[in-house]
Amino acid sequence: MNRIARETVSPRPRVPSREGLADTPFEPRLRALSTAEDWMDWSGCLSPRALGAVETEYFAIRNQATLFDVSPMHKYRVTGPDAERVVNRLVTRDVARLAPGRVAYVLWCDEDGMVIDDGTLFRLGPQDFRLCCQERQFAWLHDIAWGFDVAIADETGDVAGLALQGPTSHAVLEAAGLALPDLRPFGIAEPEPGLVISRTGFSGDLGYELWLRPEGALALWDRLWVAGADLGLRAIGFAALDIARIEAGFIMAGAEFQPIHRALRPSRGRTPFELGLGHLVDPGKPHFNGRRALLREAARTPRRQLVMLDIEGTKDASGALVYHRGRREAGHATSAVWAPTAKRNIAFAELDARAARSAGLRAEIYTLKEGRWERTMASATVIDRGVFRPPRARATPPGRF
Amino acid sequence: MAFDHNRRPRAVVIGAGVNGLAAAATLAARGVDVTVVERGRGPGGMMTGAGQGELGHFVWNLHPAALAELGLGAADLGLGAEVATVLLAADGRHVVIEGEAISFADGTPHPDAAAYRALRARLARFAAVLAPLATAAPPRLGSGMLNRAGLSDLAQLARTGLGLRRLPRDARREFLRVLLSNAADLVRDELPDGPLAASLVFDAILGGRAAPGAPGTVLALLWRHAGGGRRRPAGGMAALARRIAGAAEARGVTIRYDATAAGIEVEGDRVRGLRLGSGEVIAAEMVLSSLGAMPTLRLAGPAHFDAEACRRIRGLRCEGTTARLDLRLAEMPRIEGLDGRLAGARLLLAPSVAAIEAACRPVKYGAIPASPVAEVLIEPGDGGAEGPAHLSALVQHVPYAPECGWTEAAREALAAAVIGALGTHMPGLPGLVTESRLATPRDIETMTGAPGGHWHHAELAADQMLTLRPVNGMARYASSLPGLWFCGAGAHPGGDITGLPGRNAALAAAADLGQGVTR
Repeated sequence: MNRIARETVSPRPRVPSREGLADTPFEPRLRALSTAEDWMDWSGCLSPRALGAVETEYFAIRNQATLFDVSPMHKYRVTGPDAERVVNRLVTRDVARLAPGRVAYVLWCDEDGMVIDDGTLFRLGPQDFRLCCQERQFAWLHDIAWGFDVAIADETGDVAGLALQGPTSHAVLEAAGLALPDLRPFGIAEPEPGLVISRTGFSGDLGYELWLRPEGALALWDRLWVAGADLGLRAIGFAALDIARIEAGFIMAGAEFQPIHRALRPSRGRTPFELGLGHLVDPGKPHFNGRRALLREAARTPRRQLVMLDIEGTKDASGALVYHRGRREAGHATSAVWAPTAKRNIAFAELDARAARSAGLRAEIYTLKEGRWERTMASATVIDRGVFRPPRARATPPGRF
Repeated sequence: MAFDHNRRPRAVVIGAGVNGLAAAATLAARGVDVTVVERGRGPGGMMTGAGQGELGHFVWNLHPAALAELGLGAADLGLGAEVATVLLAADGRHVVIEGEAISFADGTPHPDAAAYRALRARLARFAAVLAPLATAAPPRLGSGMLNRAGLSDLAQLARTGLGLRRLPRDARREFLRVLLSNAADLVRDELPDGPLAASLVFDAILGGRAAPGAPGTVLALLWRHAGGGRRRPAGGMAALARRIAGAAEARGVTIRYDATAAGIEVEGDRVRGLRLGSGEVIAAEMVLSSLGAMPTLRLAGPAHFDAEACRRIRGLRCEGTTARLDLRLAEMPRIEGLDGRLAGARLLLAPSVAAIEAACRPVKYGAIPASPVAEVLIEPGDGGAEGPAHLSALVQHVPYAPECGWTEAAREALAAAVIGALGTHMPGLPGLVTESRLATPRDIETMTGAPGGHWHHAELAADQMLTLRPVNGMARYASSLPGLWFCGAGAHPGGDITGLPGRNAALAAAADLGQGVTR
C-alpha cells in the first residue's frame, strides 16, 4: 500500500500556501477533513490532491462512495436560437442526436483537426447547453459563435459541482432523499429545484455529479455526509481519482494529449484519431470546426496512436520510454499506474502507429530505490482500453451494495 | 465529385470590376461558361463607383498579363499619353514632373532633380525584384513545396531570389534595409522636405490608411508603383470599364447588371451556385468573388468556415481613408504660376512630407483633416451635364466614421477644407463652384460594397500581403470552402487597377477544375 502512496502522488511540489488560490464553495468542509494537507492548484482554485491517504481514498471509490469537489471545472452555458448549431459547430460529434436531458462526452478541434479539449456536454433543453471542461474556452466559444444568435456565459463560479462516485453512490443519494432509480448513464435529472444531478463521472464506476448554485453547496455536502455515514462515504482528492480514471481508460488533457491552444510547439497537437477517439468524429454532419482537416486525417494512417499497455511486473511505468524490437524507440508512457482493483500494471502510451499494432514492445522503467536508480526493461502488450469496466456502472436501476 | 466532361463547367463571378472581368475572361478562355453578376448599373466596380461615375483618376499598373486574358493590348484601352504631375508649392514655385524631366513651372531646373531621379531609379530596380511575385499565387510555404505542384512555387521563389542575388551587394543590403521601413524616412534621407519629396511619399500612402512614417509603407510603394507613369483613359474610368467589359463579353462572358448576390448555395461542403436578390439561383461549380473577404464570408455564411478563418477575416484591417470630392465649376480655374498647357495634369496638393504627416493625424482621432492632402484633376467639361469645367480631388486620410458622424456640417467642413487649400493656388475657386459632391469612405462602401470603402479591400501592409492576403491559409485564392474563390483586390497581389488578382485567381480555379477533383 505504501508503494501506491509513494508512486502515484504526483511529484509536483505542494502548494506552499493558499495565497493566490480561490476557495471553492466546499472549501470549509475539505479544509476540516484534510489531514494530509496536500493541496494543488486546479484552474486557480485550491483543490485537494489528497485529504488523507491516497490508497484509502482510492479503495473508497471502488468499494464505497466518495465525494470529490469538481467546482474548479470550467463550465459554460450556451443558450439561444442557434445554440444547437453553435455547439454542433464546436464539437466533432453530432449534437442534433443528443436529446434534452442527456449528456455526451465530446471533443473539439482547431482548424487543423488538433484536439483543443475534451469535456462533457449537457443538453439541458432544446436551446440550452452546458459544457464542462478542463481548459478555459470562453474566448474560443465566442470565436465559434461569431455570426450566430446565441448567448455564452461562463458559469464556472456560479455552479458548484460535486462528484459522488462509487458502488454505494446511489444508496447515498437514496438515503439523502434524492433517489434516482430510473436515471440511466449520461442522463440528467432535477430531483429538487436548483439541484441538477447527472449520472456521469470520471471513475468508470457507478457515479453521479451534482450541480447547484454555490449558496447551497455546504448544505448539500452536509446532507450527503449524514446520509453516507453508514455507507462508507469519504471525501477524496485528485490523486485517488487519477488512479481510477486510468484504470477505467479515460484520457486526461495535459497528460494523454496537450491541448493545442496551450501547446507552444505545433507538432504537439493530436487528432482524435491519434487519441483512439475517431468514433467521436462524425463526418456526416454539416461543417464543424476542423472537419476538412479531419477528413484528410481520416484518409491517412495516423502518425501516432495512443494505446493502453499491460506492462509486465509491478513497477510504475510513469514516463517510461517504450521500445519496439530491441532498441528502436517507439514512444512513451503518458500516464501509468498499478491498477489495484484490476491487479494489472497499466499505462497509457503514445506510440508510433506501426509499433502500436505489433508485438515486441518493451518499457524502460526507472525506479528510485534508496538513492539509486534501477532500470528495468519490462515487456509490454497493447490491450483494450479500460481494465476496470464493471457492469454495475451501467445497471439501471443501480444495484444496492 | 466526378467531373462531367460532356458539359461545360459553370462559374459565377461576383462583381464586374476590373478583377471580376479579368477573372471571367480568363475562365471563359479556358472553356468555362461564365456569368458575371454586378449589383451596379454598369461595369467598373471601384474604378467607377459601381457604374455611378468614377473614383480613381488614373491607370498606371494595369498588367499586360491580365490584358492578354481579356484579349486587349495597351493600345486598345484608349489610355492616351502619360500625364504630367504638377506639385503645388506653398511658395508658388510649382514643380512639374514630365517623365524624366523635373523642373519648376517657369522652366528653371530643379536643384533636387538628380537626387530624385536616382531615388526613383533605385526604387524601380527594387520593384523589379518583387515583380515576379505579383503574377502568380503566393508560394505555398512549408512541406507543400516539395511535390510536383510545388515546383512552380519553388521556381517563382527562385526567380525572386535570383533577382535579389543579381543586385550588387550594396544594393541588396539597401533593398533589405528599406523593404519594411517607412516611406517618409526613406525619402527624407535623399531629398530635402518639399513638394518633390512629398510626391513620392504621397504615392506610398494614396488609397491606404498608413501614414508616411508607418513601417511597411516602402513595401507598398515598391509594390504599387513598379509600372509606368499615370495615364488618363479617354472618356474617363467609365469608358475604360466599358472597354474591359466589352472585351470580356467578346470572350463569351455573360454580364448581368442590377443583379445582387444574396447568398452562396452550398451542399455537401461544396459550392453549388449563387443565389441572387431576386431569389433566382445560378447553378455553378464555382463562385469567384471579387468582393472583400468579409462580404464574401457573409454570402456563404460563417457556418461553412472554421472559427480561425472567421477570426482572421474579422481582423482584417480595411478602414478606407480616401474620399473623393467632385466640383462642377462655372469655368476653368486659373492656377497661379502655371500656364494653361498643364490644365489636364495630375495636381498634387501635398506641399511637404511634414504636411502629409499632419494631414494623416486627425484620422486617428476620428477627426476630419483641416489641411488635407489630395490628388486633383481638372478637366474641361464637354459643355453638357458636366458644365464648363470639372474638378475632382482624391482626399487623403478622411475618417470612415468620424467622431461627429457624417453630418451635413461634417461633409461641408471637408469640402470647404479642400476648396480652401486649393483656393490659395486658384484664386476665386470658391466662387466658381456651382455644385459639389462628396463621396466619403462610407459612401464608397455603400456604392461599391468595398469593406470600409477601402481602395484595396484590405490595407496593403506587410502583414496583409503575399501569403497573408487576404488572410493566412487562403492566400492562394481558394477559400477553405471548396468551390469558393477570392478574385478581388483583397486577394494577392492587391488593389489598384491591375487585373492581376482576378487573372491569377481564375488560373488557380481553372487548374482546380482541370484536375476534376474536390479540393
